[in-house]
Amino acid sequence: MLSRRLLKNLDFTMIGVTLLLILISLVIIGSATHVNSPSEERYWFVERQGLFAVANIVFVFLMLHFDYKSLGKYANILYVLNLVILLAVMFVGQSALGAQRWIQIGPISLQPSEFSKLIMIISLAHMLDKRTGKLNTFKEIIPVFIYVGVPFLLVLKQPDLGTSLVFLAILLGMVFVAGVSLKHFGALLAVGAAFMPIFWHFLKDYQKKRLTVFLDPNIDPLGSGYHIIQSKIAIGSGMLFGKGLFGGTQSQLNFLPENHTDFIFAVIGEELGFIGASIILILYFVLLYRGVKIAGAARDNFGVLLAAGISSMLMFHVLVNVGMTAGIMPVTGIPLPLMSYGVSSLTTNLVSIGILLNIYMRRQKIMF
Amino acid sequence: MDEKRFGHRVDVLAFLAVIVVVALISRLGYLQVVEGKFYGNLADGNRIRLIPVMAPRGTFYDRNGVTLVSNRPGFTVSLVPISGPIQEQVINKLSGIIGVSADEIKQKVSGQTGSFEPIRVKADIGQDVVTRIEEHRAELPGVVIEIQPIRNYVYNELAAHVFGYVSEINDVELAENKAAGYRAGDIIGKFGLEKVYDREIRGVDGGGQVEVDVTGRPVQELGKKEPQPGNNLVLTLDYRIQKAAEEAIAEQLKYLQGTIKRTNAKAAAAVVMNPNNGEILAMVSCPAFNPNFFSSGISTKNWKALNDNPFHPMDNKAISGMYPPGSTFKIVTGTAALELGKVTPEEKILDTGKHWLIPKGNDAGEALGWIDFKVAMAKSDNVYFYEMGNRLGIDNLEKYARLFGLGDYTGINLPGEADGLVANQRYKEKVYGEDWYLSETFDAAIGQGFQLATPLQIASVMSQIANGGHRYRPYLVSKIVTQSGEPVKLFGPEEVGNIKISDRTLTLIREALREVATERGTAGQIFKDFPIPIAGKTGTAENPHGDDHAWFACYAPYNNPRVVVVVVVEQGGYGAEASVPIARKILEAAFNINQAPIENAQMYIPKTAL
Repeated sequence: MLSRRLLKNLDFTMIGVTLLLILISLVIIGSATHVNSPSEERYWFVERQGLFAVANIVFVFLMLHFDYKSLGKYANILYVLNLVILLAVMFVGQSALGAQRWIQIGPISLQPSEFSKLIMIISLAHMLDKRTGKLNTFKEIIPVFIYVGVPFLLVLKQPDLGTSLVFLAILLGMVFVAGVSLKHFGALLAVGAAFMPIFWHFLKDYQKKRLTVFLDPNIDPLGSGYHIIQSKIAIGSGMLFGKGLFGGTQSQLNFLPENHTDFIFAVIGEELGFIGASIILILYFVLLYRGVKIAGAARDNFGVLLAAGISSMLMFHVLVNVGMTAGIMPVTGIPLPLMSYGVSSLTTNLVSIGILLNIYMRRQKIMF
Repeated sequence: MDEKRFGHRVDVLAFLAVIVVVALISRLGYLQVVEGKFYGNLADGNRIRLIPVMAPRGTFYDRNGVTLVSNRPGFTVSLVPISGPIQEQVINKLSGIIGVSADEIKQKVSGQTGSFEPIRVKADIGQDVVTRIEEHRAELPGVVIEIQPIRNYVYNELAAHVFGYVSEINDVELAENKAAGYRAGDIIGKFGLEKVYDREIRGVDGGGQVEVDVTGRPVQELGKKEPQPGNNLVLTLDYRIQKAAEEAIAEQLKYLQGTIKRTNAKAAAAVVMNPNNGEILAMVSCPAFNPNFFSSGISTKNWKALNDNPFHPMDNKAISGMYPPGSTFKIVTGTAALELGKVTPEEKILDTGKHWLIPKGNDAGEALGWIDFKVAMAKSDNVYFYEMGNRLGIDNLEKYARLFGLGDYTGINLPGEADGLVANQRYKEKVYGEDWYLSETFDAAIGQGFQLATPLQIASVMSQIANGGHRYRPYLVSKIVTQSGEPVKLFGPEEVGNIKISDRTLTLIREALREVATERGTAGQIFKDFPIPIAGKTGTAENPHGDDHAWFACYAPYNNPRVVVVVVVEQGGYGAEASVPIARKILEAAFNINQAPIENAQMYIPKTAL
């Protein structure tokens, strides 16, 4: 069993916020999938999400018994495994919306790119561990970029633009915290910016469209602009107090497709209004803030880097997902952590939070 | 330790989190509090309608700017299941008004999943039906009438096989083209140029989300995109020649069936081509179909009629019809024999009516006595060419046939081209498992037996004789232009092969072909008073399934070839009798001879693309 000292060191704020967000998500998924309409399978989504939440919470609790430090030992194997899985998606994956993203295992469709984000964080943390403070020459920095670049390109090839952008966010966040020389960091960002037109060239037309349409949804009101217009109407029409749970006309009448997954925040905006949506964003802020604090409190570099990577990932998800539903970010198919329906995403996020708890729990150096 | 050193960087992340959340909350404040009323009104009462506007497809012009294929406005009935599923009684009521069975409507409704776009039930309904739907508007919630462009083939059956037809996209096509933005219910080119250039000419659909009041009247547009019309195609076809060719064929078939009692002469094909670059000036396949029938959804009756016609009106016989080339193949045999020195122009061979090795002879059994190359070609003597086959051997015959491009696709930009067949030993071995016999070489030498060619291939062979051995890829589109006439893509001659024939041989073959169309030759009668000198070759190909197929291939003017014409009449009998008169009428149109006076009357001058 865990020692009393370790249990006492658990981050109860984070646990509380996480559980609260999961409960809210079950209610909102219920609303988005019409649990109030008479149908045999109306609880299907809620039940599944709830079941996986419980299973993951148990799993995370068990994992707390092991020191996160041991993750470092598996970092290289995990990195290779990640590449193998991403390659496997290309060959055996099922496509949705023209992208190869799913692998079917029994009754569960897995989205390997979700897991690969966390695997990336773990293996990159291990790699940067030894380089912390030394990232002040290109000789040290370039290998890091190549290390992330390989899985990044595989994800981009799927094509899953959203996840590949998450990889970039993780990379930047972690390299920054690992103490990269700001001069070199700036230079690399400038080079990256210079490569943008080339990167752009390789995108598929529909991706380009999705990336730019949020600037003016009216250029394609029936295609890629459709979601954005409807999402903005849903959120905007929620006004200050919202239309009440199950009361959102836009989401309940199916104006808004994907409203239990990527566009779930639009349901929140419509049904809970500005006040409810803001409260949920503040809950996310607490989660992110605790994540960053855990990074600051970790006992070793590996822990700092892990926590920083996870925080960067969560922050980017919240920013891009909520920004997308509110029409200020491109539509890239990034789910809202702990809120969007999706077994792979939920598992990844809960395990990530479990790692944060683990790091915080073992923040004090053990004195002999 | 290092954590201390970079502790402030972790604080930067915390600061970023503050900025992110503050930015998002500010955005929500703007949407929900500042603009909330506006969006509230939009959402209120579920008043948003999707109104797609189909882009008109590009226009097809002939080489002189004559509009051949365009669009006309038509009314389309659609269902919009936006306020819940379409009710049974609505479907039944609608079925009664528009004459589409309720089952068919239900099938279309269930076929459209997860989309909020209108389900198109019937295209191109008449004004009377529109009126009846408007009268019953209250009983038909979810039924909308859109104005859609309907594809219009101005001259109905004219060049139908070249243009092709359009109709609603099917599941297979949808799966293939989804990434390119095609959607269920879209109109797509199914055949001919409509299919080949679909992406270029389809344009981009427009539309908008429109807010409507309780009665369904539009109040304001929330986002609107004008449809972008597709690009236009400027074809190499010449409307006058195409029309003349189709009329000449129709007239001649009637004559053959009636006066000559060739009762099965009901199908024919013709190709008119510029030998100097491969431009197709006319292409006819008879019987044809009316592509307008497909534009608004073909009726079962019309579809059955097309399918049951034993002469396959949906096939483009000019490119997919494989016929024994008959005596037109003697051009290939003759070229091979002269080039390989198997015969000299002066050598005379005795035709006693039968060949001395195998008792095969001329069709009518006549004997021409001692004849040289030119006479043999002009009179289309079989015995002489059997001997050429005998001297060449099947392998040399095969080699030269392939050098001319036979047995291979010409590469024309139309779907469904056939590659024909060049007689050869491997084929026989593979298919029949038997050795090659000399009699089969004899057959091959006069374009019978295993030899099969399409009219377009024969046009290509004739072009190579006319232009000195250059094999150009035949093409139908000279340029793709935007609505405002800006060129998007230009097409020009593309040389895909060059059979290097010596000038001596070329001259001899040309002179022999010239004789075909003068007094001594098989086509001499018909061209007796023709003002432009032509060179050509007739062919009468034995057909195991009926009467002989009649061929004629020619070019003109003899000294400066600018047009190649190939005509084949299925079961038409003698080439000279059935096909030559058609070719003459086509040439009359091409050179503006005996034509009714038209505007800007002038001799036809081919434009060179590029």
